[in-house]
Order: sequence, then C-alpha cells, then structure tokens
Amino acid sequence: METKKILPSVVCGFGAAVLTTVPGIKNIGCCLIVPVGAFMSLFLDNKINKSLPPIDFKKAIAFGILTGIFAAFFSTFFDVLITFISHTNDYIDALPQTESLMNSYKLTGPLFDQTISMLRSMAKQIQVNGFSPLYTFMIFVTNIIIDLIFGILGGLLGMSYLNKRNQP
Amino acid sequence: MISSNSKTSKRIIRIILFILIFIWCFGFLSPIFYSLNHFTVITYPFTKKIYSIVCHQINKKSFTINGEKLLVCARCTGIYLGALSASFISIFYFPDEIKGIELFLISLIFILTDVLLTTAGVYHYSKYLAMATGLFFGSVSFVYILNVVENNLLIRKNGN
Repeated sequence: METKKILPSVVCGFGAAVLTTVPGIKNIGCCLIVPVGAFMSLFLDNKINKSLPPIDFKKAIAFGILTGIFAAFFSTFFDVLITFISHTNDYIDALPQTESLMNSYKLTGPLFDQTISMLRSMAKQIQVNGFSPLYTFMIFVTNIIIDLIFGILGGLLGMSYLNKRNQP
Repeated sequence: MISSNSKTSKRIIRIILFILIFIWCFGFLSPIFYSLNHFTVITYPFTKKIYSIVCHQINKKSFTINGEKLLVCARCTGIYLGALSASFISIFYFPDEIKGIELFLISLIFILTDVLLTTAGVYHYSKYLAMATGLFFGSVSFVYILNVVENNLLIRKNGN
C-alpha cells in the first residue's frame, strides 16, 4: 500500500489516540472516538486520493483495521509515556477500589492470591520505575483488540454513510 | 421479495452478530453476577481495563445493579443494549433496507445534543436520558452496519 493511501489512517489513528488520552475529551467522546476516526480516515481518503464512490467493502474494512491498529499503537505509546513521566496512572488510582471489591467477597485460594500479587507487583513496578512490562503488554493487547473491532465498525458505518450520501 | 435461501443466510449472519454483541454486553454486565458466583470477581481488574478503553467509566454516570457499578456509563450501556435488542429483533424480522442517511443523522444529533447540553450545563446529566439516546443510536447503527455486512457478504456468496 502506498504511503499516501495509509496516511489518512495514520492521521486519524493518531488523532483518536490523542483524544482518548485527553481526560475531558474521553468523557464526551466515549466509545465513539475510534469509530469516528475510522469514518474520518475513509472521508479523508476520498478527499486526498480522489477515490471515486461507491466505497468497496474490503476498503472500508481495511481502513477500519488500519485506523484501529494506529490508534492502539499511539494510545499505548502515550499511556506508557505519561505513566513513565508521572509514575502513576488510572490503574494505580483504581487498584484500592479493585482490592476492596475483591476483599468484600472474602475470596481465598491460590488463584485469588496470585491475581492480587500480580496486580500489586504491576502497581509497584509502575510506582518505582514508571514502567511495567506486563502492564504495557496487557494494555497493548487490549487496545489492539478493542480498537480493531471499533475501527472496523466505524469503517462499515462510514462506508454506509458515504455511499448513501453519494447516491443519486 | 426475499428468497428462502437468502433469508436463511441472512438469519445465520444475524444470529452470529447477536451472539458477538451478547458476549460483549455480558462482559460489561458481569459485575451483576459477582454475587451469584464470587470467583467471577477475579476477572474484575481485567474487564474493567478492557472497557476503560471504550468508556470513561465515571461512577456517577454509570448504573448500579445488584449493588455493583456496571463497567460502562449509562450512554454506552444504552448503545450496546440498543445494538443487542436490534440484533435480537432482526433474527425474526426482515424489514426493507434503509435507503437514506437521515435516520442515522437524527440518532447522532440526539446523542450529540444531549452531550453538548449537559456539558454546557444547560440541564443536569440524566442517566436515563443518556441511556435513551444511546439505545436509539445503538439500534440505528446496528441496522446500518447489518445492511452493509449482509449486502456485501451475500453478494460475494452469490458471485455477483
């Protein structure tokens, strides 16, 4: 794929990642940020590359996947960078609430102990070093899966909208 | 007129989509089941992290059921439950394809208006209003996505 063709996905993926990182915007945009990013990448592709309508199904899926991947990559990068600088993040903030919830059900056993010790070890690594490999891996995998799904949905909605809009 | 062969293919696609959306909804509704099976609490940190990617998860904007907060806000709950209910209805009901984009734009305008007016402080945030706008948007979005998926998969299958 030519650089010009992936440029809309890179730009929109980057934009979506920035918006999901900015606290106030995430409260407003919620789950619509990545789908809107995928939608915008199709729209920009039409403008930049002068692609003729109707938009192909494969192309909508491809743009959704690419925007999702770039959004996941950049949002993981921003999350890791901010965590590295501040030595804290929303995971650290939510850990006491998580632990109290788990304790409220009075769970015992090796599985519970291992889960708690893993959560605490990740938190300790973040607070001391500003970085936890396990946490980074976990957020990257979850970001990739979720952003990919929502990117594809945005691509399909964008295809539906743009094709219907361009109908005579 | 839809042929019986095409109707079966469409129904299979719709059932698959319903199952996928059901799994997604089960995930964010999972705190409801903590009291039924205490060991499901172990999944809480991971499911919370997964849903934090797509939702701000602010406590005062989320529903509490069975003493536990859901993992997404009221608006997202509405969007996903709207898509789930639309996917369930679509298994039994085969309406004509929606031609225009007006319905999608109206549902988007409802949701954006509610977000903007509550953010601007014109009126107080209401979980039920947020959920209602989400339900409408989620169900309409599902119908548009379903049209795209069905049209393209069935055209491929028929070799056109």
